[in-house]
Amino acid sequence: MPVDPTQRTFLDPQILARLASIPLFARKPMQGNVSGRHTSPHRGASVEFAQYRKYVPGDDLRRLDWRAHGRSDRYYIKEFEADTNLRLCLVVDTSGSMKVGTAGISKFAYAQRLAAGLAYLAVQQGDAAGLACVADGIVTAIPAKRNPAHLKVLFDLLEQAAPVGPTRLVETLHELAETIRQRAFVVIISDFFVDPAELRDCFEHFRFRKHDLAAFHLLDPQEIGFQFQRPTRFLDLEGGNAIFAEPNEIADRYQEALSRYLNDLKQATVTTGVDYHCLRTDEPYHTGLTRFLVGRGKAGGRR
Amino acid sequence: MSFLEPLLLAALPLCGLPILIHLINQRRFQTVEWGAMRFLLEANRMARGHSRIRRWLILACRTLAIAALIFVISRPLASGWIGLAGGSESDTTIILLDRSPSMNQRDALAHASKLETGISQLSQALGLVRSKRWILIDSATLASQELESPQMLSRTVAANAVSKSAHLPTLIQAAHDYIQENRSGQTEIWILSDLQANDWDAENGRWKTLRDSFLQFQQAVRFHLLAYPEAAAANVGVRVTSIERQQTGDTAQLLLSIILTASPDAKSTEIPLRFDIQGVRTEHVVQWEGPQLELRNFAIPIDPELKQGHGRVTIPADAYPTDDEYYFVFSEPMPRRAILVADEEDVPRPLRLATAISPDPNTFNEVEVVRPAQIAALNLGDVALLVWQAPLPQGGDATRIESFVASGGQVIFLPPELPTADTLFGIGWTDWHETETSLAIENWRSDEDLLVRTQSGQSLPVGQLQIHRFCGLTGEFTKLAWLKDGSPLLARVPTGKGGVWFLTTTIQPRDSSLAIDGVVLYAMLQRAIANGAAARGNTQNVVAGILPKETTLNWKQLEGAGTLLSSDYADIAGVYSAGDRIVAINRSEQEDNPATLPLEKVDKLFEGLRFDRVSDSAGEFSALAREIWRIFLVLLIVVLFVESLLCLPSRKKATTSLP
Repeated sequence: MPVDPTQRTFLDPQILARLASIPLFARKPMQGNVSGRHTSPHRGASVEFAQYRKYVPGDDLRRLDWRAHGRSDRYYIKEFEADTNLRLCLVVDTSGSMKVGTAGISKFAYAQRLAAGLAYLAVQQGDAAGLACVADGIVTAIPAKRNPAHLKVLFDLLEQAAPVGPTRLVETLHELAETIRQRAFVVIISDFFVDPAELRDCFEHFRFRKHDLAAFHLLDPQEIGFQFQRPTRFLDLEGGNAIFAEPNEIADRYQEALSRYLNDLKQATVTTGVDYHCLRTDEPYHTGLTRFLVGRGKAGGRR
Repeated sequence: MSFLEPLLLAALPLCGLPILIHLINQRRFQTVEWGAMRFLLEANRMARGHSRIRRWLILACRTLAIAALIFVISRPLASGWIGLAGGSESDTTIILLDRSPSMNQRDALAHASKLETGISQLSQALGLVRSKRWILIDSATLASQELESPQMLSRTVAANAVSKSAHLPTLIQAAHDYIQENRSGQTEIWILSDLQANDWDAENGRWKTLRDSFLQFQQAVRFHLLAYPEAAAANVGVRVTSIERQQTGDTAQLLLSIILTASPDAKSTEIPLRFDIQGVRTEHVVQWEGPQLELRNFAIPIDPELKQGHGRVTIPADAYPTDDEYYFVFSEPMPRRAILVADEEDVPRPLRLATAISPDPNTFNEVEVVRPAQIAALNLGDVALLVWQAPLPQGGDATRIESFVASGGQVIFLPPELPTADTLFGIGWTDWHETETSLAIENWRSDEDLLVRTQSGQSLPVGQLQIHRFCGLTGEFTKLAWLKDGSPLLARVPTGKGGVWFLTTTIQPRDSSLAIDGVVLYAMLQRAIANGAAARGNTQNVVAGILPKETTLNWKQLEGAGTLLSSDYADIAGVYSAGDRIVAINRSEQEDNPATLPLEKVDKLFEGLRFDRVSDSAGEFSALAREIWRIFLVLLIVVLFVESLLCLPSRKKATTSLP
């Protein structure tokens, strides 16, 4: 499939070409529009046998299994698995905190690359891709579509988005969980600077709606290491009060709080079955993406 | 606290530098746009308390370090007593100087005497103390002298040691009297002394009286003692115990009895004794093994024409130069004449014999027995002793006897058979007391006067005397021996030059065993004769400080220390002429005893009073005002160490690993 001729900073053709060889799988049955390579929760006309069902008047007689009748003297219909495409719904956090970038790339730019890569892979293999930019609510959103022209719209949206403003991630995710049609593949790309307990509720909501949820947790190296030497005035990018602190004095407590948060978050993702990936922005994005795709490939499509 | 470089204290405001830097540092912050505010808020909340305390402690340490450094370079002084000058100005500062001979002991290296060292230290240290008035009282004059400033101390006459012994109770009494008379306010009393036991007289009852009296003062009085108890090293001293001019035909010689004493660390084996007798010098080397050597009747030939003269004996100078010389005067021996005055016709033979027999085979005593009525016609000019066993003389006879005593004569009164109510020298006889059983002597003064121990140190057998009958006494007297019921047996009346004693019994066997015993009676009489002969002769060897100052105003100095005021002659060793008499003034025998009072005893003497003490040694100028910069240097190091510990970064938790 030809690459968008407009050169986007978040698109690297070479990386995309490498990633294209790794299929994007869903872990749960997807509910697509057309036939595809992903498992559908419904029965269809694929070659993969699914189950026997008792014949009821009106069933297609071509599906009767005469051998089963011969063995059991009863009429059974063979049912086959249905394959469908997946609807990839990318949720990109565009709140102010995503602006942080000390490793040469901001978290938002990193998220752009991830989102663009995933959208490209999905459309390339015939799946649908959509995008929702969230901050203080849903900033912009486009539904998931399969055609390549939609990819351009998605990329335009990504390019135009900017990390600004406060975040209401939890409420927005609840909203998305409800509005996105069931059994979609939702990928959230955010720094998740919210209460892990509330996030767990969000993840539960997505699970209830039978979505296959993946989360890319982006963290800047400075946010992890907290290596400051001088007294520092920390400006809240999401519009809160600035804090003046002596980093040397609070570094160990910062690490303690961060560690506790990450553990809680990990716990939440484990218990809710979220495909969780924590990425540092100084790590090449394609590494994380490859890891994600390969991991999904191993797990395979579950039924 | 005072400082040798007080101007450097102007840098003290630099202590604010750490605070200023901290404030500037606070302003020199960097601004960072941050997303993970939740962790920051949480961390900030957790660290608030400890962090603030630690920050303040670090700031305090840095401020203290700068302050300590400034103090170090300002060279602070503490007066051996930390915090001396930290307080308010005192109203009066009294300086009590012990100018006794022992204060002339010198340090072998510094060659400065204890007195010089002490005065120098006091001048320096007191220069840092504030006081409205500076008063000097020395042990020689006991007179208060106002100084403009402590620096004037070394320029006063009191800066020189004298030969007169000090008596600290009297010296402190002088300070007490000054405070009382002048009603001074807060007073600081500084005492400079070498703690010689003889001078301090710790057993004297006046200490308690003084202590109680000072405690009753309303104003604050504080005592400071700068003590130099260390004895002079390797010291040898010389003293002449007796001198006699002896003429045999055409030759004459001086018989000197000399005692040499040495400190335990003195190692000399040979001491050259140098005699200088009116310009004629002789030297004699003695073999010495210490600690004491006595030369008895060491003969030095002199010009037979020289009937009367003076001289001195010296040994090589050492750390205590005062005891390296001794002055003496000599003359033809005065006849040892005694008059026995009695009402009875027969004066008991023992009395005659005890008076007549001289202890020295080369001298002869003359004894004459007279009646009281004959005394008026007698020439008492060459009489050494009068023994009066009759009713006390009155009128002209009393006046003659008083003159006799005033000129150095010695009188011993024995009770008459029928005492009258008359008095002489303020003393009178009362009634006879008979006892059924003999009374023994309760106690007697064996340290001085007629009943003093012999030269070999043995006591007279006074305790063996038996008293059957004694007569009572009225008046003020000093008991030299007393009976079990407290009645005096032998009493001395205070007089100037001569001596007056009252013996309350007679030598009659019915009254006492004095005649039977014999020794005590003999010793008493012979000693009285010797005293009289010495006092009434043309020459006199006197202990410094005994004679009143007024008596020396017309004296001339023949030998001795440099230029002196005539009023000081009585206190300073030397030979002086007083008309046709010559007098040798020397230090007292007690000054040769180096024993010092233990410091615990000194502290006890000032118990209850505000008192502090610094002990030092001659030549050492650092005790009083001591530089204490080292204390601040140690403080600086400690503070910097604490600050570095506080600044150590807390062991950082390893960077959180991502799940």
